[in-house]
Amino acid sequence: MSGRVQIGISGLVKTYGRGGRTVRALRGIDLEIGAGMFGLLGPNGAGKTTLMRILAGIAHPTSGTVRIDGHDLATEAGRRATKSILGYLPQELGIYPELTAAQFVDYMAILKGLDDARRRKRRVAEALEMVALENAADRKIKAFSGGMKRRVGIAQALVNDPRLLIVDEPTAGLDPGERIRFRNLLVTLADQRTVILSTHIVEDIGQTCRELAVLGRGRVLFRGTPAGLSRIAEGHVWTVTRPRLEEPKPGTTIVSMLHLEDRVQYRLVGSRVDGDPGAEPARPSLEDGYVRLMQAEETGVGG
Amino acid sequence: MSALKYAWLTYRRETLWFPLAFLVFFVVIAWMMRRPDIRFAIARGYLGFMLPLIGGILAAYAVLDDPALELRFATPTGAARTLLTRLIPILGVQAASGIAFQLFARGMAVDFSPLGGQVAVQMAWIVPTVVLGAVGTSGALATAHCATGAFLTGAVWLVQLLMRGWILSNCGMLYMFMGVLEPRHPDLRLSQTSLIVASAALAVVSWRLLRRQERYL
Repeated sequence: MSGRVQIGISGLVKTYGRGGRTVRALRGIDLEIGAGMFGLLGPNGAGKTTLMRILAGIAHPTSGTVRIDGHDLATEAGRRATKSILGYLPQELGIYPELTAAQFVDYMAILKGLDDARRRKRRVAEALEMVALENAADRKIKAFSGGMKRRVGIAQALVNDPRLLIVDEPTAGLDPGERIRFRNLLVTLADQRTVILSTHIVEDIGQTCRELAVLGRGRVLFRGTPAGLSRIAEGHVWTVTRPRLEEPKPGTTIVSMLHLEDRVQYRLVGSRVDGDPGAEPARPSLEDGYVRLMQAEETGVGG
Repeated sequence: MSALKYAWLTYRRETLWFPLAFLVFFVVIAWMMRRPDIRFAIARGYLGFMLPLIGGILAAYAVLDDPALELRFATPTGAARTLLTRLIPILGVQAASGIAFQLFARGMAVDFSPLGGQVAVQMAWIVPTVVLGAVGTSGALATAHCATGAFLTGAVWLVQLLMRGWILSNCGMLYMFMGVLEPRHPDLRLSQTSLIVASAALAVVSWRLLRRQERYL
């Protein structure tokens, strides 16, 4: 392992045409990403996947600059250099069902330029061992569960021993046990790499990342630590217990409901709850901070 | 070689059954016919018309009909290498089909001499196969749809078949069936050379298109 990478994103804009109209997927992103595990959070359509694809050298910026370890991703040479240190797990993992896990990872290793057959064989075995698939290496992928396919995806991402690992919505569709295992694996990998985890599952970020950014409508809404994001909701989180279900007040979001014997306990995020005699302030979680940030984004009011 | 092995293994199986089915069909039809002139017409029809059409349709699907396309794009493998590794197996299948058919045909005493010597017979199917392969590939990449590439292949094939007289008199250099329909045409060599050059130009267009990877995701 030859170390982590530094990523600098400045004024990044990405537009593309869809059905005769122009979509602005990214509207001036500025980010610095350093060592360890970095989380990208945001609702569907926030621009996360577009940003991931630009960082992976697949999509080209419309304007602005992206530098990875000094390589400018606006140039073919820069993209190629980045891809040579990259491990990438896309949101929609396409695999060849007729290949075995070992064959698939071996093929990806060839595409990544691992031409020495002996070294490649060793790396394939190591990558499959890292994701605990060494005993299933010779089984066809079509017989794998969703979680095993995701692990094959991570194995192919790791086979070239990448310094930069980009994973886009990696835990979507996994059962709780597999999700936890996958998160732990990513944290372990981030010890020696820069890992960018993109997701809309807040819990995944809170459990793994020291730093994160929240994207919304193509802009960075927040950049900081998970604790910092939680603090955005301070003074705006409440628990209210009522005998029956009610519509929340405008500007308030129910983040959870707990059915008690004859009542329902709501956890609410919003400023309009203050003054309700039954409302008790609660300590904000990461999810509360995220919800509060999204409320502020929708209403145009600062958190 | 390993890349080609995996390119072969990762093709959809139905892609490979398709040319095999046509090969068997034409062998059986030729075998059922007793008259040598009809057998020759069937053999010429397969080699000169069907084989190129199948090649063009397969080529239209070769690059983009790949479930792991996004993973492939995230590797440093260049567009030229991607094109080569995805198209070489198709050319291999077409070549194997063409050679196998000729062996069957010769076993049935089909006389290919009306098409010229050995080289002329091979060029009669190789040139239109290369042309339609280039049309299929570039069409699919230009429109980012495999089906459109296949449609364009079929359209070029049909226009060339139906408008033979007009094309020969107005732009004979681009008539790809000259080798099978006009084997003694004085411009045959020139036409085949022009078509190969045009195919190379389309290959360059395909290469440039494939470098814009985000269009295909």
